[in-house]
Amino acid sequence: MKTAKQLLAWLCIGTLTVLVAGCDSSTNVSQKSPGKAVIEYWHVNSESFGGPAVKQLVEQFNKENSDIEVVEKYNPDMYKGLTQNLQAAMASGKNPDVVQMGYSYLNYAGENLKYVRIQDIINKYAPEDKTFLSDNFLPNILALATTDDGKQIGIPYSVSVPVLYYNPDIFRQAGLNPDQPPRTWQEVAQYAETIKNKTGNVGFFMQEFADNWAQQALIESNGGHILTKKDGHTIAGFDSPEAAQAYQVLVDMVKAGSGLHATNEEGFQAFISGKLGMVCTTIGKRENFEKSAKFTVMATKFPVFEGKARKLPAGGNLLMIFSQDPVKQKAAWRFVKFLESPEALAVWTKGTGYLPPRKGVVDDPKGLKAFAEQNKNMQVAMSQMPEVVKWASFPGVNGLQAEQTLIDVRDIILSGQQTPAEALKQAAAKVNSLLQ
Amino acid sequence: MNLEEAEIRMASHKAQDQGEQILSNDAYIQYAAMIKNAAKHWRRTFCEAGSIWQPVVFLTPATLVLFVFAYWPLLQDVWLSFHLWNMISPAMKFVGLQNYFQLVTSAEFIKIITNTVLYIVVLLLVNFLLPYLLSFMMAHLLKRFSFFYRSALFAPSTVSLAVASILFLWIFNPLAGPLSILLSAVGLESPRWFKEPVLVVIVIGLIIGWKVFGYNLILLLSAMVDVPKELIEAARIENASDWQLFRYIIVPMTSSTALYVFVITIVFGLQYVLVPVNMLTQGGPDQGSTNLVYIVYQYGFVFFQTGKAAAFAILSMVIYALFLMLKTKVLDKKVHYEN
Repeated sequence: MKTAKQLLAWLCIGTLTVLVAGCDSSTNVSQKSPGKAVIEYWHVNSESFGGPAVKQLVEQFNKENSDIEVVEKYNPDMYKGLTQNLQAAMASGKNPDVVQMGYSYLNYAGENLKYVRIQDIINKYAPEDKTFLSDNFLPNILALATTDDGKQIGIPYSVSVPVLYYNPDIFRQAGLNPDQPPRTWQEVAQYAETIKNKTGNVGFFMQEFADNWAQQALIESNGGHILTKKDGHTIAGFDSPEAAQAYQVLVDMVKAGSGLHATNEEGFQAFISGKLGMVCTTIGKRENFEKSAKFTVMATKFPVFEGKARKLPAGGNLLMIFSQDPVKQKAAWRFVKFLESPEALAVWTKGTGYLPPRKGVVDDPKGLKAFAEQNKNMQVAMSQMPEVVKWASFPGVNGLQAEQTLIDVRDIILSGQQTPAEALKQAAAKVNSLLQ
Repeated sequence: MNLEEAEIRMASHKAQDQGEQILSNDAYIQYAAMIKNAAKHWRRTFCEAGSIWQPVVFLTPATLVLFVFAYWPLLQDVWLSFHLWNMISPAMKFVGLQNYFQLVTSAEFIKIITNTVLYIVVLLLVNFLLPYLLSFMMAHLLKRFSFFYRSALFAPSTVSLAVASILFLWIFNPLAGPLSILLSAVGLESPRWFKEPVLVVIVIGLIIGWKVFGYNLILLLSAMVDVPKELIEAARIENASDWQLFRYIIVPMTSSTALYVFVITIVFGLQYVLVPVNMLTQGGPDQGSTNLVYIVYQYGFVFFQTGKAAAFAILSMVIYALFLMLKTKVLDKKVHYEN
């Protein structure tokens, strides 16, 4: 009988603990914050991807603002995971307040999510900040958070751009001056050839991630387009002579053996182990390259086509506000303003490798002045901010599959199966059928 | 904390009090007898041998688990395959058989099936035929060092596929890899392993071999060792050659294990493809390394077209089912089972 008694006792204890725990969590919020606005900040930053920077910033903000408490919440599986959670939360009426949203989800978010226009909040509750957006952001950067139908749905927060990394040791071996890196694509081809002939190493590699990001920069910098509008429909725009010409530069290098066509990781491995002269990829790889390579990694601006403007698609995310309650809206704006301050952006840049979207952070002693002075490669990337454009996003349910077509066509072109013009034409037909 | 502890203590006191009350009550004894009777009845109907309910009772837990984790998802998958849904939107659109139709008529479909067959050929060579021959040699021809070979060949199986993928990425790196250095030493240029249509399947087959080869080898070896020594000695006395030994004694005597390894080589092998493909090629070059399993992942979690992904999954399911039917109808008849 003793065991039965014990069992009963344990059962009661169990039930009570659950009850107590239940009470605890529900009273938590209301007890802790009489008159304190509690807002939730949703982000995608895991421990190895800027998570510590998020925690540091939230802690600092909470310390400085006694009337607001920000609770940060990590969402796994990047912006897809975050958007799913967001939709579920909104369906149950418990939306977060400040959210990171990937640029690739820009139009989806604008069309499907009940966001609050940040400018409205500013006008209502913080008239002193009325010109905050236009004062502090370049128009092309603000456009990153503007949907196709012209709505400013948030504020750009993280930006990454492609740069050209090179190995100065290989340059010297080939008789090239590392202080005069190639400026145009023509020069890149010449440099690559010289490297091949003088050192036996391969000269050049452009990233071949499972996206078309760097190739878009190449095509658009030659005056081409990924997408165009025709009769109000978005259609493929990359079956143009400009796009084919841009690709031809890469094909010629690969054919001559001075350019590499390989998987992304293979290209990076080869560069790090000193077997490859130049790599064109994101500034986000800077820290990894600098840490892993035995030589001093140098970077220069993304090369241009002679006489044409450089156009670089931005990777990264923007901040959106979803608060419905006026008190929370006010608090959310103050938090966003804090995140976009030079000091906070400096922490963010150092913690993630993203570029600050705001003007002047680089020259601000409270911002990144010291960091940028030490880090020439970072300076190079930041100097490209005025040339940032939107990353082409394919509309509709087949949008992401359309992007895959561009990835496939890259393999077809670079392996020499078809000429760029032919291959791009076929790919455009396929994309157009997917976009219908 | 203190509050909680106090409440817990109170609760346990209360429980004790109640227990004592029940104990001192006559009704309790009656109640206990009733339960005892009920239990007896229960035992007679459900637990005694010969009762028709007994197998049901034993099978229920396993059936439930299988239903919840295998058949229910399968039904959900069928349902999903009739819809358009991007995994995020709250609205799902019913499209009937459209997903299946589009998938079968698409240009990539032929490529996916060809690749899948190619994978099967490579996997059977690397993970079935090779370990089969090697295990025969180790069991019956090798006179010494068999322990060393066994351990050395099994060791790679303990490494995860992700690690093996990265390892092979280095080995096959066309500029910096050891293989390219060896090739350039004899004046050859390293091919772009992961960027050539057929080569990429072979290399990924090798990566999977790294994981599966050793395990299959041990399985087959155990079957080889099980072949009665008397048979082999008798054959030797009759002057049978190694080949005759292999063909007329080993092959039939190990056929049941061999069939099992044959099946898992294909069924598991095609699934293992997911890890290296996802890590190294994402299906490229130009869908050259994709297969029936990776395409499900790609449509589901890269394109967010869950309807088509589900349709592909059902299709693979059907193909697997056909394969297993073929196996039961044709291969099982040629196999010698000991019992």
